[in-house]
Amino acid sequence: MRILQSLALLAIAWAFDAPAYAQGSISDLPRKQTLIVENPEGTVKNAGWFNIWAVNAGGQSTGLHQLGMDTFWYIDPNSGVDGVWDNSLASEKPIYNADFTEMTVKLRKGIFWSDGVEFSAADVMYTIETHMKTPGLRWSAAVQVNVAGITAPDSSTVVFKLKKPNSRFHALFTVRWNAMWMMPKHIFEKAGDLIKFAFDPPVTLGPYVVHSYDPNGKWFIWRKRPDWQRTTVARFGEPGPTYVAYIDPGPPDKRVIAQLNHELDIIHDTSPEGMFTLAKQSKTSRGWFKGFPYAHPDPTLPMVIFNHQNPLFKSRDMRWALALLIDMKAVSMASYRGAATISAIGVPPTGRYPEYYHEPMEAWLKDFEIDTGKRKIKPYDPTVGKQIADMLRPSMGDQIPTDPKEVAKAFGRGWWKPDQQAATELLERAGFTKRGNEWFTPDGKRFTIRITVEGDLRPVMTRAGSMIAQQWRQFGIDATTVVAQGSLLDRRNSGDYEVIISWAVETWGGHPDLSFFLDSWHSQFIAEPGKPQPPRNWSRWSHPELDKIIEQIRSIGFDDPKGIELGKEYIKLVAREMPTIPLMAYNVFTVMDETYWTGYPNAETAPYTDPVPNWANTKYMMVKLKPTN
Amino acid sequence: MARVLFDLLRFNREFTAGIILLGFVVIFAGLSFVSPYPPNDSYVVPFDLPPSWTHLLGTTSRGQDLFWLLTFAIRNTLLFGLTVAVISRILSLTIGLIAGYAGGIVDRILMSINDTFIVLPLFPILVLFYFVMRDSMSWVLLALVMACLGWAYDARLIRSVSMSLRTREFTETSIFSGMPMRQILVQEHLPFVMPIVFSTTMNNINWSIGLEVTLSVLGFTDINTPTVGVLIYWANQHTALVAGVWWWIFFPVALVIITFIGLFLLAVSMNEFIDPRSRLSRIGN
Amino acid sequence: MHGYPAYLIGRLGQFLLVVFIGINIAFIVTHATPIDPVEQTISAATQYGATSPEAIAMMRQSLKELYGLEGTLLEQYATFWRRIAVADFGPSLSAFPTPVSVLIWRALPWTVGLLTVSTIITWCVGNLLGGLAGYYLRSRTLRFAGILAMALHPIPYYIVAFVLLIVFGYLWPILPLSGGSRMNLPHEFSLAFIGSLALHSILPILSLVLGGLGGWFMGMRSLVSNVVTEDYVVYAELGGVSPRRILGSYVMRNSLVPQVTGLAMSLGAIFTGAIITEQVFGYPGIGTLLVAAVHVGDYSLVLGITTVSILAVSLAVLLIDLIYPLLDPRVKVS
Repeated sequence: MRILQSLALLAIAWAFDAPAYAQGSISDLPRKQTLIVENPEGTVKNAGWFNIWAVNAGGQSTGLHQLGMDTFWYIDPNSGVDGVWDNSLASEKPIYNADFTEMTVKLRKGIFWSDGVEFSAADVMYTIETHMKTPGLRWSAAVQVNVAGITAPDSSTVVFKLKKPNSRFHALFTVRWNAMWMMPKHIFEKAGDLIKFAFDPPVTLGPYVVHSYDPNGKWFIWRKRPDWQRTTVARFGEPGPTYVAYIDPGPPDKRVIAQLNHELDIIHDTSPEGMFTLAKQSKTSRGWFKGFPYAHPDPTLPMVIFNHQNPLFKSRDMRWALALLIDMKAVSMASYRGAATISAIGVPPTGRYPEYYHEPMEAWLKDFEIDTGKRKIKPYDPTVGKQIADMLRPSMGDQIPTDPKEVAKAFGRGWWKPDQQAATELLERAGFTKRGNEWFTPDGKRFTIRITVEGDLRPVMTRAGSMIAQQWRQFGIDATTVVAQGSLLDRRNSGDYEVIISWAVETWGGHPDLSFFLDSWHSQFIAEPGKPQPPRNWSRWSHPELDKIIEQIRSIGFDDPKGIELGKEYIKLVAREMPTIPLMAYNVFTVMDETYWTGYPNAETAPYTDPVPNWANTKYMMVKLKPTN
Repeated sequence: MARVLFDLLRFNREFTAGIILLGFVVIFAGLSFVSPYPPNDSYVVPFDLPPSWTHLLGTTSRGQDLFWLLTFAIRNTLLFGLTVAVISRILSLTIGLIAGYAGGIVDRILMSINDTFIVLPLFPILVLFYFVMRDSMSWVLLALVMACLGWAYDARLIRSVSMSLRTREFTETSIFSGMPMRQILVQEHLPFVMPIVFSTTMNNINWSIGLEVTLSVLGFTDINTPTVGVLIYWANQHTALVAGVWWWIFFPVALVIITFIGLFLLAVSMNEFIDPRSRLSRIGN
Repeated sequence: MHGYPAYLIGRLGQFLLVVFIGINIAFIVTHATPIDPVEQTISAATQYGATSPEAIAMMRQSLKELYGLEGTLLEQYATFWRRIAVADFGPSLSAFPTPVSVLIWRALPWTVGLLTVSTIITWCVGNLLGGLAGYYLRSRTLRFAGILAMALHPIPYYIVAFVLLIVFGYLWPILPLSGGSRMNLPHEFSLAFIGSLALHSILPILSLVLGGLGGWFMGMRSLVSNVVTEDYVVYAELGGVSPRRILGSYVMRNSLVPQVTGLAMSLGAIFTGAIITEQVFGYPGIGTLLVAAVHVGDYSLVLGITTVSILAVSLAVLLIDLIYPLLDPRVKVS
């Protein structure tokens, strides 16, 4: 009897809930005014923590840094709403003195915090001074290393005095994924110990405020500020969605199902197969490219990274041999099902980089020669991208572009031609020997390589690593993959690997300056074996010529046209030395559902920003989104 | 012995069915030795082909022939499950029977050890073991660790049966007639716990294979050795379930089910064969 | 002292010993992780944005000081026990400075609720079916049920869960895909919230029941077939007691004793959460917390969860052992 009673109660409860459920997974919010976005951080352990200045105490891409935060400048990974560079809280570009020891920032007027207090130079002063005197905040070290002092001549000007010349100091305040955010002085000065202050609810500079969140960290809902006009994005219009929900939709398969049910407007990333399923089954789903390869190429360059502190990889000939054993077409198929944008050179083929670097370097690459000891070969095959497109055309049909320009944009240009003969000659020149079908190192041991891959957190990289291991294995090298899972970062940072599939190159995307990653490749930063290496020179490779290039870049301004020329010198150097084998862009299968919203960024007609929703730069997407009728 | 087997095959339909099913699985696993493809090579056949005459079980999104891949996977998985089961059975039987029979301080000490193993949470230990072993992680190592972690629960179960057997008359009789403990345990008590041993063995194999799959799904596995778990791992990496490549998941699971039904039928018929009811009547006489 | 009090004291001593050894092993194991929480924090904080290499070293040092990781392992061990004494696990290293206990308490109700219900359902149904199947060995229906249960049993739980999700979340979308309740619904005692809670728990519970049934079924079946041979059952049969009564009053009751032990242990073991369930159904709980903590080397959090789990399981085992002599009069207290 009691069972019947509870069943009846359950049925009633269902009856109450079911009609509401049919409208979607969010209660009491108009679905048509709500944008539902995947937060790739997953479940946030400490949901009620919005103090982003305390290191990693809570979530970051829960909407907090996309919708709530603001700082001086943004650089777009693609073309930008109004150019690549956007003056956000600043009204002009950074103004340096002649020897780069002083940076002046002019602030925009009429910008308000969400609680109605006006943003001013006092907030900037407070933010910087707090970081100078409080160790352990996210940007404390970066400020303490650089800043000698800060002054505010008036309420809309601040002047940074630097400890030593730094022509890229503004990078600290320039959003590329994130940057140092401004703190509300009037809240934090009363907060006591900043490291223990949760900042809940957050007072924001961005156009949204927190509406509600799950104490268990599965979802965060943001509401448009009624005074959105007093925020920096108002220059581009009104943000479309009244509500934005950042949720944890679960594993890749589930994200696909959720979008097929129209309950997830933007998938951050899924597998290539998941993308194809969506493209096939949902008329409203679209990627960055309208057709194949769909994915957004992030301005990062996954590569085969050798550990240069391991004597095995000392020889340039050997590294080149390993590169010539890779068949890029097969790697592209295995990792991305062909939906990869390949790059033979040391910068990612994304954003505006193809026009800055890849196109101009093409002629040099075609003539580029390496010496195998027996002969000289020209290893570059400019048609690899086209070959991938041709290979896919029979099964993908019209989706595959035919215009060479479009092909180059989607699939990349050339890559190194697989050449086992040359690889044999190079390995022999480096002292390796082949007995039977097996290769041996110069000191007579079996030639084994362990390729460390991340595992299921980045399936495509794992898939690429497995394919490369297979290709090396088939040549007679004992190559296998090792799944590092959570220990990947530790192993990569402490140099505890032989070969790793990861990226040591990341760029601004829209802006040609390479200092973003290249500065850290200077030999001065190389850690001793076993000690952690600061980002991003994971291979711990150094070269006197590289140091010279880096030092020259430091001495010129951010927008100096000489930057591109120096960048090309770097590219030539790494092509000759092959310290890492560049593979392709990190293509992110961000899928957008146009059932409720249109105006998402895309490669063909609106490359105004990166759709990958954990980028703080996606705040510009909000002003372009319009409800579907 | 041969006669018994023959009779079982003839008269006990469950035994026959169990043998046929298990035989099928074993032969299938044995085919891995004549596989035309090395198990780790991908893109050797066209990908995503549904089952057909050329590719009996279809091909995976990694361009592998599922039939041949599965022969390796089921072989490794069965070996893994059996290794765990055999080692952990030896531990749990020895400790369970002795503790239950001896009682007193021996029981207390053995059960303290036993309980320590019961209370330790498995998952963090296995994952940390994975992190510590790193590149040398293999299924043999994992099997050893799981065997060491997987005996305690059943030892407790066996102990409780053994405790109640200790109070039975025939035990007292045996003691009075001067039988040594080892003999009492092996000859008198073991047959009574055999049904439990059979059922816990199956549960144990199931548990270890299930845990192997769980660890694989979470990515804590050596992806260079094909097992059912690694197969599912790769299927997941290619979102096979939503991409419509159902055979990639279906056939491995079907094969695991066949194995277990075979084991179950075998266990059931074996239980009937050594039915304590008939043994009891023998003792009674 | 003799009899029960002596047994009680001895057993309590064993409990304390087991807990002590267990927690020590957990301490050693969790601290053996090669993942450094400071490196994880730094990597996460600097992964995509602009960073200057000089700043990293400084950041590393100040984080070590902040997290209190400066001391030797021995000092950390002493601190750990001092804190345990006041039921505190210190701050989490991946959500610093939030205390580990706060994080655990936030997730625990979900885990305990879901797993208690599903464990009890599984246990009841599994034992009932197993008992019947073990007693009526010749019944065709029950043999078939047995084979069905056994066919379902070995399917990897992940697959069971995912197939259910695809069937009821996508092909015939009548149940929610994800979460513990609808988004934007306040966690309060209201019909809407409780209804939503129930609705969201159907698939997780169903999958756990389907996945766990076979184990209890199999165990009970063999226990019953064992008890059936005991003298009192044979006499009862000969004496013409109705099979129903024999099954209910004699066989089931006596076979259940070891199964109750199993139930207690399963209930104790729920404190590490149901990792795959939480992952597949996006259900909040301890499992997600544990996996996340392991991934980022937050050994404070792993140790906290592990300690709670060790305590729960040993308490369950202790209780069962204390009740056992009272339940089964045949077991003499030695």
